[in-house]
Amino acid sequence: MTAVVHPPAARRAPRAGRAPRMRRRLAPYVFVLPFVAVFVAFSVYPLFFTARLSFTDWRGTGAATWVGWDNYTYLLTNPAFWSSLGNSAVLWLLIVPVQIVLGILVAVLLNNAKLRLRGLYRVAFIVPFVTPLVAVAQIWVVLFDQRYGAVNAFLGLFGLPDTGWLTTSAWAKPTLALLFLWKTTGFIVIILLSGLQSINGSIYEAADLDGASRARQLWSITVPLLRRTIGFAVVLQTLAVFQMFAEPFVVTQGGPYNSTTTAGYYLYNHITRADLGTGAANSFLLVVLVMALSLLFVRLLRAKD
Amino acid sequence: MAANDRRTRPRIGSHAFLMLLLVAFLFPVAWALLSAFKPADDIVRSPLTFDFSAFTLDNYTAMFQDVPIGQGFVNTAVVLLFKGAATMFLAPLAAFAFAKYEWIGKNLVFGAVLITLMLPTIVLIIPLLLEMKELGWVNTYQALILPGAVDAFAIFWMRQVISAVPDELMDAARVDGCGEFAIFWRVVVPVIRPGLAGLGVLTVMNIYNDFVWPVVAASTERMATLQVVLSTLAQNITGNRIGADYAAVTGELLAASSVALVPLLVLFILLQRHFINGILAGSVKG
Repeated sequence: MTAVVHPPAARRAPRAGRAPRMRRRLAPYVFVLPFVAVFVAFSVYPLFFTARLSFTDWRGTGAATWVGWDNYTYLLTNPAFWSSLGNSAVLWLLIVPVQIVLGILVAVLLNNAKLRLRGLYRVAFIVPFVTPLVAVAQIWVVLFDQRYGAVNAFLGLFGLPDTGWLTTSAWAKPTLALLFLWKTTGFIVIILLSGLQSINGSIYEAADLDGASRARQLWSITVPLLRRTIGFAVVLQTLAVFQMFAEPFVVTQGGPYNSTTTAGYYLYNHITRADLGTGAANSFLLVVLVMALSLLFVRLLRAKD
Repeated sequence: MAANDRRTRPRIGSHAFLMLLLVAFLFPVAWALLSAFKPADDIVRSPLTFDFSAFTLDNYTAMFQDVPIGQGFVNTAVVLLFKGAATMFLAPLAAFAFAKYEWIGKNLVFGAVLITLMLPTIVLIIPLLLEMKELGWVNTYQALILPGAVDAFAIFWMRQVISAVPDELMDAARVDGCGEFAIFWRVVVPVIRPGLAGLGVLTVMNIYNDFVWPVVAASTERMATLQVVLSTLAQNITGNRIGADYAAVTGELLAASSVALVPLLVLFILLQRHFINGILAGSVKG
């Protein structure tokens, strides 16, 4: 970019009068105005409303009483709140590490231009991501049905007993995690691919000359260079897992025995009980947690520098 | 962008691994699409075998009789048209202001955008629903279209894309006497076309698949979107879990799921290159 270009300011100066400069200063306000209007009306205003709500005992009708921090202390001392966080944490462990490892392996393989059927793989892996969740969640219910489902029928071929995938608390979480993994891993692969494509190939040639094995190169070169992309993917998925709501809503309704009552689903329980103040407080606790986790991951991945 | 060419052709193990994943990723959808054509009793009795000579449209005819899925498609189409158009025009425009101008309140507004990204969607549902009641918008198209008409994620994503456009291009246009909007429309938009295409597919997907807000805000039969129609079918199946109807309901459910799946699958397969390149353009690298 060392081509001979006059500094833009110097070239503009003689021609640009006061009016264009004024317009340039005002333009961004005009550009963001429609967005800000919608944003304030349907995001910021409800957010402030929720904040105020979290300090009241309002149940949807009648007058609200100011209760201070009661809703927050109620939640923080309530085992059900902690167990909903625990459920989400277990789901996180079942999902995110698996997804990142699988994602890196697949992305590295797909990044090889000599791979046959590369286009087919790319399309096939992203198909789950474009399917409507409600439709897929119902297919999951049918597939994993204990008595009539295809999964148990298949395992039966090998003499394995029927498993209550969605009806026992031991299996409900892994089955739900599998749905989430199935649905979003393709998206993570594409994000990791974009990171891989910005790595300069010559660094691998040097490693080849040094006689480093492929596995060694993956661990010592690819993964460190992908750090920022991996961090982006981890933060994205952490947000998604802790907010997970529609999956348990359609597939398990939070059961059996609350084993799939995720942080997001627990929040919804307050809403169905019209316990709006507690629900609002729960939302904010969740936001703080998710923010803290995101910052932690960003930190951890940066610290390796 | 060219991938790494230096490597050797992958060995058989890599292909076995990828093929296994491919089967796992395609199986649930393929199984549902095929099973929907089986006689309902067979779906339940022998979920793993497919007798193509016995294929029938019975599940589909029963489903179209029982479920107002046509109205669901119409409602989804209306929302897609208006909400999609608003997002595709207003999000890049606002993102342009975030990426390329200095203005008072910019960091504050962008911080608020980031916070809403971290907020679970259901947090805002109560106050939004109360707001809709106040406005008299419950069970109207406005309620389905306006909240979230300019998605915070779209702003975040487009800012990332537009930041990569060189300032020199814009300055050159200014020297040629271009107004600020013309710079956006004639300089920035053509350059970010791949990112826009990705945003387009993502937006269509999000709106088409959206479920939580529509089920709360507009659940009457006349206003129900496709996903809402689908979700009430789920309540049927859980209600009939043990009864003799299980097979029939499962058949209808798979037929309805297929009908909902196919339009997006076709759209995606037609546009997959734009979609994948769009995600590549917008994500964090390095």
